[in-house]
Amino acid sequence: MKEGIAYAIMGLGSGGFYALMAIGIVIAYKGSGVINFAHGAIAMYVAFQFSYLRSEGTFRFPWLDPIPTSVLNLPVTLSLSNGEPINFWIAVLLSLFTALILGAAIHYLVFKPLRNAAPLGKVIGAIGVMTYLLGVGSKHFGSNQPQPEGVLFPDKLLKNFLGLGLGVSAEALALAGVSVIVGAVIWFIYKYSRVGLATRAAAGNEKGAVLLGYSPDRLALFNWLLAAFLAGLVGILTGTVTGALGTGKFTGLIVPALGGALIGSMSSIPLAVLGGLLIGSLQTFVGTYVSGLSWFPAWLYSGARDSIPLVVIVALLFLRGKSLPIRGNIEEKRLPLAPYPKRIGKYVAIFVPLGFLLSAGFPGDFLFAGLNGRWGMALTTSLIAGMFGLSFVLLSGYVGQISLVQISLAGIAAFLTARLMSHYGPSDSNPFAVGGLHLPWPVAMVAGVAVATVVGLILAVPALRIRGVQLTVVTIAASISLYSFYFDNPKLTSLQGGSSYIIQPPTFFGIKFGSTGSQGLTDNPKFALFCLIVLAGLSVTLANLRRGSSGRRFLAVRANERAAASAGVNVAKTKFLAFGIASAMAGVAGVAGAFQAGSTSAPMWDYGVGLSALAFCYLGGITSINGAILGGMIAGGGMVATFGNFHSPGLYSYIPIFGGMGMILTAIIHPAGQASIFQPLMRHFGSWLLTARGKEWGVVLRRLAPYLIGGGIWGAIGINPWRTDTYNRTWMIILGILIVLFVRNIVNQVKAVKAAKALPDTNSLQEVTA
Amino acid sequence: MSALLETNELTVSYGGLHANSNVNIKAEKGKLTGLIGPNGAGKTTFIDAITGFTNVSSGRAEFNGKDLAGVAPDERAKSGLVRTFQSLELFEDLTVWDNLIVMAEETKWWSFLADIVKPNRVLGIEEQAEWALNLLGLGEHRDKLTLDLSHGQRKLVSVARALAAKPSMLLLDEPAAGLDTVESQQLGKHLREILKQDISIFLIDHDMGLVLSVCDYIYVLDFGKIIAEGTPEEVRKNPEVKRAYLGETAGEMQAEGGAAAARSLSGEG
Repeated sequence: MKEGIAYAIMGLGSGGFYALMAIGIVIAYKGSGVINFAHGAIAMYVAFQFSYLRSEGTFRFPWLDPIPTSVLNLPVTLSLSNGEPINFWIAVLLSLFTALILGAAIHYLVFKPLRNAAPLGKVIGAIGVMTYLLGVGSKHFGSNQPQPEGVLFPDKLLKNFLGLGLGVSAEALALAGVSVIVGAVIWFIYKYSRVGLATRAAAGNEKGAVLLGYSPDRLALFNWLLAAFLAGLVGILTGTVTGALGTGKFTGLIVPALGGALIGSMSSIPLAVLGGLLIGSLQTFVGTYVSGLSWFPAWLYSGARDSIPLVVIVALLFLRGKSLPIRGNIEEKRLPLAPYPKRIGKYVAIFVPLGFLLSAGFPGDFLFAGLNGRWGMALTTSLIAGMFGLSFVLLSGYVGQISLVQISLAGIAAFLTARLMSHYGPSDSNPFAVGGLHLPWPVAMVAGVAVATVVGLILAVPALRIRGVQLTVVTIAASISLYSFYFDNPKLTSLQGGSSYIIQPPTFFGIKFGSTGSQGLTDNPKFALFCLIVLAGLSVTLANLRRGSSGRRFLAVRANERAAASAGVNVAKTKFLAFGIASAMAGVAGVAGAFQAGSTSAPMWDYGVGLSALAFCYLGGITSINGAILGGMIAGGGMVATFGNFHSPGLYSYIPIFGGMGMILTAIIHPAGQASIFQPLMRHFGSWLLTARGKEWGVVLRRLAPYLIGGGIWGAIGINPWRTDTYNRTWMIILGILIVLFVRNIVNQVKAVKAAKALPDTNSLQEVTA
Repeated sequence: MSALLETNELTVSYGGLHANSNVNIKAEKGKLTGLIGPNGAGKTTFIDAITGFTNVSSGRAEFNGKDLAGVAPDERAKSGLVRTFQSLELFEDLTVWDNLIVMAEETKWWSFLADIVKPNRVLGIEEQAEWALNLLGLGEHRDKLTLDLSHGQRKLVSVARALAAKPSMLLLDEPAAGLDTVESQQLGKHLREILKQDISIFLIDHDMGLVLSVCDYIYVLDFGKIIAEGTPEEVRKNPEVKRAYLGETAGEMQAEGGAAAARSLSGEG
């Protein structure tokens, strides 16, 4: 037991880290009502900034220059000392300065415009910032995992600490101490300073604070700067306590920190500090000491540490119910409308054969020279991302529940299907192969999807008590916990040393439709057909749900849970149903993804992959089926990205950055997503194609000629004539034309909306005459 | 005849504050029962307690002879005890028609499977919804989204939605708030029409004219307690009501107005 106490004390180090993060999260919540999922990402960026300043003296701005040109370039990397490490204090100042820039940018560019957005919009904003910073981080710092520099009493070990027999690092204790001191200072500021009082007043009632003469914007800015400053401080001070730096790892440490902040109910700073310390201490105590005891089951070992925050968060939210303070905002917008799907049958009849024809025709060099092979991969990737997106449309778009665990459910279905289909155990050619039951793929797939559904339903149980943003916290915790508990746990998966399950190509009455085609590339049109049919099936299912009694209930619950209950709708059952179906859809997408890859391993199901998928689905339009499909088209590795990468190599690495920016922009400007812009365009174009004769063609061509020629010339000079990277000229011309036509369409739509608004409003007239 | 809705010493407390204390109310079948009281008297709390949106501290409420304790709000609605909200609380993303259908339709656990196969099933509830829609003159707005309607129309949609379930007891929370005198009288006529459909009504309002003119029996609530009850005539004459709620002179004027409204109604009807 002595040893156990020593481990619990050692855990105070990471506890101090969580506590400092938790303070920042609470401040951001008080200041603007946002649960800042990006807090860990800010700390990550600053930690890397500091580390690079201290090792090679470079300062990197938190942005990128997307197209290198010969004339005007954004400064990205500043070399301050010719590769020499820079002075410690200057590095600290520059790093904290970076944090403040980020804080100000987050306030002005993201959350100020989103102040009155629906809760989903704010969550998306925070996840967008997180995705963006992760993207910029990995672009700037690559996959390097530098060993950070200890700042507080580095390399000092207190031997036989308190006579417990084990050494405890002074750094860990100091970090815990700093968190307590910082917590006390911040608590004091909020308790007694004017700005602290004003913030607390505004958190309680924003309208009231405005009437008293406080500007909620200025208060929010102050709080964001303070929160970002603290995130920066954590990034520097954490030193060696959290081990080697890693972009994804550091960002994911937001989860235990959120646990701490939730212990403080997002409002009490002393309790948040205590919560953070407690979680850190418990993690090391359970993860190192308890799991080392002889009775501890070996299969639990891998997930023990990462599951602690999930257990704490769920227990807390469950016990407390809905007691998170809800901010009284001045005005709150609703989610965008979830359109009633009308033409789904027609779309299926057109697009399934069309997609198949395209995929069958494309392996040749016709039209898309140089893209063969990559094309099939891009199409099927888009289709699978679309299937996955449908699960978000149902859960978030229709029922308003934001779940980040869908990627894990997809992974569970994929892993189980792979395992059940597998035949051969380890052999000479693959010593890591895992044997299984050798079931036919439909049976294995149904079983895998069924288990994923059951897991999804179990995770939905907390969703019945909690809602909105808190559910997002629980599900991201669940996703991270499932990763280390299942996907990355050899005791459960039998996958040794990060190897993967191999999946034999599935067959249908003897026809192999695995993704690999005759050239050994991922371009088998039969697999594309499989994906098209599955996506069509899921889309029709979802459309019919939306049109029937279930859809009415989903939207009723989304609109107003109280009113739904008063209308005789069982809110819990309705949510449960949505979780179940969405889990099954995610599972199907997961199996399709595993079929496409021909194998599956843990990294495919990381929470970051799920975030990126959500980002693109939101970009496409999270409240409509078309939105999910469009989201699939623009997703990483999908059609748009592949084309883009083809004409402008290196674009792939920008995908998360554009995804993050796109999410934020969509949330601010057009929460209904891009599908609602494209859809009228496509419908118009489609009906025109069916009816137009030679004469109409002539008229339209003449009307569009200036745009076609102009866009073509613009593209021919490379869109940006000063660019210095390599690109494909043919594609640039098409891209130029498309951009011009797209902008023209948006301008026309805006004009139409303005014209409609200029007409007298009949309703208001009636009110006047009544 | 036993009462359809009956409370016995119903008390709702928030901390030390008794929002309702020992409230005894009987709402008879086929009758229009009213509950009046000044702002903050605990009227909405009373509806919330009966419909399961707030916890009852002590006492009991019975509907149709069954104890309501522990019955979830949606089950109370299904059993025929349906309410409206003062703040409307419509389903803004649905059309007027779908707002009504959500309320009216019976679903089973397998309904979602049926939806996948055939989403536009005939539900057998259209007639009732159609009746509610036409009664309140909303026929032409059937396929509009509720957020495209005016405030007065939305108010009517909330009543129509409650009626679509063919409830045995309709609880109306301040239906006349925000309506002018003409609209309010119109509403009074609708209420009489609804009673004929075998739907009993429990009306909460502070529009004295409306309540005194349409109700069969009235309870007066002040500071969470029932201070008077009786027919409109008795309540109007009750000196305590005048003092506590109406105020001496203003009360007489209001009461006169109510009597005038009642005369004009009976004259027309």
